Amino acid sequence: MNKVASILLWPVIAIVGAFSFAALALGRGENVSAVWLVTAALCVYLIAYRFYSKFIAEKVLRLDDTRQTPAERHNDGMDYVPTNRWVLFGHHFAAIAGAGPLVGPVLAAQMGFLPGTLWILAGVVVAGAVQDFIVLFASVRRDGKSLGEMIKMELGPTAGSIALVGVLAIMIIILAVLSLIVVKALTGSPWGLFTIAATIPIALIMGVYMRFIRPGRVGEASVIGVALLMTALIYGRAVAGDPTWGPMFTLDGPQLAWALILYGAVASSLPVWLMLAPRDYLSTFLKIGTIVALAIGIYYVAPPLLMPATTRFIDGTGPVFSGALFPFLFITIACGSVSGFHALISSGTTPKMIEKETHMRLIGFGGMLMESFVAIMALTAACVLDPGIYFAMNSPSAAIGTTAANAAQVISSWGFTITPEMINQTAADIGENSILSRAGGAPTLAVGMAKILAQALGGKTMEAFWYHFAILFEALFILTAVDAGTRVGRFMIQDMLGHVYKPLGNTEFLPANFVGTGLCVALWGYFLYQGVIDPLGGINTLWQLFGVGNQMLAGIALLLCTSVLVKMKRERYVWVTLVPTAWLLITTLTAGVEKIFHSDPRIGFVALARKFSEAAAEGKLLAPAKSIEEMQRVAFNNYLDAVVCGFFVLLVLAMCVFAAKICLQALKQANPTTHEIPPLAPAQGVMA
Amino acid sequence: MKALELVRLTADQSGATSTEADIRVPKRVVFERMRGIRQICRQLFGIPDYERYLAHAAAHHPGAPVLSRRDFCAQAIERKYGNSGPRCC
Repeated sequence: MNKVASILLWPVIAIVGAFSFAALALGRGENVSAVWLVTAALCVYLIAYRFYSKFIAEKVLRLDDTRQTPAERHNDGMDYVPTNRWVLFGHHFAAIAGAGPLVGPVLAAQMGFLPGTLWILAGVVVAGAVQDFIVLFASVRRDGKSLGEMIKMELGPTAGSIALVGVLAIMIIILAVLSLIVVKALTGSPWGLFTIAATIPIALIMGVYMRFIRPGRVGEASVIGVALLMTALIYGRAVAGDPTWGPMFTLDGPQLAWALILYGAVASSLPVWLMLAPRDYLSTFLKIGTIVALAIGIYYVAPPLLMPATTRFIDGTGPVFSGALFPFLFITIACGSVSGFHALISSGTTPKMIEKETHMRLIGFGGMLMESFVAIMALTAACVLDPGIYFAMNSPSAAIGTTAANAAQVISSWGFTITPEMINQTAADIGENSILSRAGGAPTLAVGMAKILAQALGGKTMEAFWYHFAILFEALFILTAVDAGTRVGRFMIQDMLGHVYKPLGNTEFLPANFVGTGLCVALWGYFLYQGVIDPLGGINTLWQLFGVGNQMLAGIALLLCTSVLVKMKRERYVWVTLVPTAWLLITTLTAGVEKIFHSDPRIGFVALARKFSEAAAEGKLLAPAKSIEEMQRVAFNNYLDAVVCGFFVLLVLAMCVFAAKICLQALKQANPTTHEIPPLAPAQGVMA
Repeated sequence: MKALELVRLTADQSGATSTEADIRVPKRVVFERMRGIRQICRQLFGIPDYERYLAHAAAHHPGAPVLSRRDFCAQAIERKYGNSGPRCC
């Protein structure tokens, strides 16, 4: 019976998917409903999950439920807990879903909805889900070891140390770019800033409540926290309109940058129960709730996609980010297609909670499909906006000026007709003074979400509320990431410093902690500040630097997966990881080299640095810099970015050499040479 | 929760004279289900689950001293966030 249902079901899904793609492809000249886009994506996910992940689970990895998982072996009721697979699926998804899949697709929407959609879908099936799945598998077979430890085990200690330095560098860039997104969203936005600021006392109240007032009652504290948060959100409008309070919460970019740097330093030094834990609970509730609401909203409202399938900006002249479709689309959309950072999560707490090996298919592969679905929804939310509004929000002021009239004229000249009134009306609808040059993805997504959610619930009058709700939702988990990331960065820096001077490595030693935290904050703070004052927008540079770094990490993780397969003597199936590895290396190495050496100053770091330093030497001012000193700073920062980018390129090339050497050695061996835990646990082994 | 366990035990052992069982069974089912939903929510959001820890302690280390709710939660939060590894982008 089941078999018959299956035989009937899968052709139906395939036909629905094909029909949705046809609707997207053939709908030329008229607006296609967003429902087709989302449905096409869902059908791709279902088919990929049913067939490709099954193939990987059964043939490539040969998952075996008779093997003990780390959760069974160490079951301690605390860290190692065999967990229901659906619960763990949700838990894992909440851990991998961050701001990444929301931002990249929004930026990529400048090329139209089609390039982004195709890369998200192809990327997740061939690369992203495969990476998450196989890293999780490798970690479970190695007693829950982390990515760094596994690289050390399988590729050697030198490779392990190099990879760790790379991870730290990528984390610094991620913290900077995430903070920059928050700065861009909150600049001159008193309502938004008040709500975000209110999360600090709310988190403190929750922390004290669950520590002292009702010890251990996290659920109760969370309910109180969410209620307080909604109150702050509603009263934020009144605060913003107040003649004394309003200006107090109206900050410019550099002020916000300093506030965030200070926040990062203080928050990451507080005990975790006071701030980080309660804030993380709030952010998890909001994250899951909002994503579900958005999915329902898209189907209920069925908004048309106003962005064309492709725009003229696939040639690389786009205002949001510069560079042609190949290779820059593939580093702009990272999370949602394939994200190296997931390799760290898949080898973190999740492998310690897997109940049975076969569950990894749902959690590793399925969890990443879910993340990709979030990326598709973010892309949808950006593409249901009027393209004129989209470009007004995402182009730097260097391109479109600072007034609605000027912006409307420039954007209309690109072929996206828009009037100054439409720009001002949109700003008024969402309760902001201006929407111009709010780059970074978050505000655009928030406007799109507000449009969809307001049509479903509350109508036009609720648009401003939903906009600020969406900003709150994004800023909340970005701030959690800044807090947690600074802590991790501090531990890693202290670990490295400990090799130079022993006391600095002691995490119980307060002065050493200050040095570690200070260094970490200074590093990401520098890149953040540089991005905020960057006349060309900041996001333009930092997001691509992050994209290169993150995809390089994915390349490293996939190189590890490839080596693991070869060492297991499954070389017949090595294409499963080799194909995505090759694609990632091709795109990211091309992008990395172009970012450094491209002769167009809008793309190449060195070219831009040279342009500014040469002009400065001649005493000429280049807009929008206002002094020779500023010119020199732009030049220096671009040289620095080139160095960071070059470091990522060399890092991944070095890992290629390590992996190739190990694979060639393993191919010569007749038997598997992996460092897996053998099928029988030691205790049972003695019995047998 | 201890009380709940007892209710269940007495219900199981009572040998079920028909009227009693009819009243008790639905109540028990409701309790069980509510507990199940709470547990799922806790695991989903990563909230420390003291009841699960108690059940684990009772099953695997009977008689050994257990942590208080306050200490258990404090330790769980410290472990989860103290050196939690990187967060996703």
